Amino acid sequence: MINKIFSILQKEIKIELSQGHLFFSVLLYIVSSTYVIYLSFQPSGLFDMETWVSIFWILILYGSITSVSKSFFQESSKRNFYYYYVYSADELILSKLIYNFLFLICISSFTFIIFSFLLGDIIISKYFFLSLLILGSLSISNCLTLISAISYQVENNSLIISILGFPVILPILLILIRISKISSIDFSWNLIRDDIYLLILLNVILLSLTKVLFSYLWRN
Amino acid sequence: MRFIKPLCILLLTYTFTAGYLFEVPALPILNETIRALYLHVPMWFTMIFLLLLSSFHSYRYVSNGDILHDMKSYNFAHIGVYFGILGLLTGMVWARYTWGTFWTNDPKLNGSAIGLLIYFGYFILRSSIDDESKRGKISSVYNVFSFSMLIPLIFILPRLTDSLHPGNGGNPGFNVYDMNSQLRLVFYPAVVGFILLGLWISEIRLKMLKLNQK
Repeated sequence: MINKIFSILQKEIKIELSQGHLFFSVLLYIVSSTYVIYLSFQPSGLFDMETWVSIFWILILYGSITSVSKSFFQESSKRNFYYYYVYSADELILSKLIYNFLFLICISSFTFIIFSFLLGDIIISKYFFLSLLILGSLSISNCLTLISAISYQVENNSLIISILGFPVILPILLILIRISKISSIDFSWNLIRDDIYLLILLNVILLSLTKVLFSYLWRN
Repeated sequence: MRFIKPLCILLLTYTFTAGYLFEVPALPILNETIRALYLHVPMWFTMIFLLLLSSFHSYRYVSNGDILHDMKSYNFAHIGVYFGILGLLTGMVWARYTWGTFWTNDPKLNGSAIGLLIYFGYFILRSSIDDESKRGKISSVYNVFSFSMLIPLIFILPRLTDSLHPGNGGNPGFNVYDMNSQLRLVFYPAVVGFILLGLWISEIRLKMLKLNQK
């Protein structure tokens, strides 16, 4: 099973490296939006920590929705038919989850770099924030992968994924914003412990639900 | 299920007479608005109960494919959302007289509003698919998924932050010590009565849905 997961993963990464248009288009999207934000705050600059953190996570949310939604659309229906016979549903969804997770780590760390560069270096505990980014991309990919699988089955799908995705992802995003606000002032484990536990718990729930429910979706 | 209707009528009549006539503890600021407890809180109990039934039937549908389960889950979600909207409205009227505004930035309020958005998304998802079995399967998967995200939104997240909402400081619902025995005398029958009302309405609406299909 692990071999099969890795073979799908390898194929995805190979396609992405040879074509590369999705990754670079999301990067370009992030750069241009950050630049718009930078220009709109221009005369005085952005010093407020709360605004920084909120805009940061909202931008990551949009970037991840555009990138994760492609994870099923970019496959042709013939290829999905082929997958249906070769791989089981669990293998397929796990490989998609891992791929989205890796993709989102790249996107979010890039966003962090470009944000710190253009909008000011506000985060104090950087290592903690980076690990929070990893946890955040894990939660976002867990949450959005099943939603993108759902909206793949619907015809007018580009709108559906944002309608379905936003309210579901909101609890995760609220926790992430709250933790990152704390981490930008002063890092203290006591303040964020409950939130981190809750985030991990949510991830466990999301992962198990995705694994169980995807097998029903895939049977169609 | 024959006992539902008389019991529901009895309990709700009791709620609406006793709720307005019985003595309530006179607290500052709250005053007589404390009676909103009998209407506002049962709405949320009913909503959660109906949505739980809805996601249960969704799960039954994806596991055995009986179209009746899909119909039931859609129906329960529909009625549950109505109760949710009523819960928001009753809460807003209460908040106007105690907090001074209809809406404040409160984790409890935001959580319930987002929870309703999730279910509006569910209805849009249903209406955008034509094929019946496909619609049932996809929307059932989304229903189970979104109900499990509703739980942290309503029950867990508000517990982690301070809130204006009664019963705050750890508990977003009512606190055991917030209520006295006089309030409980009407509150518990009201909860059961409104849940039975929700079941009754969904039973009637299920009949309508079945007739429409024929």
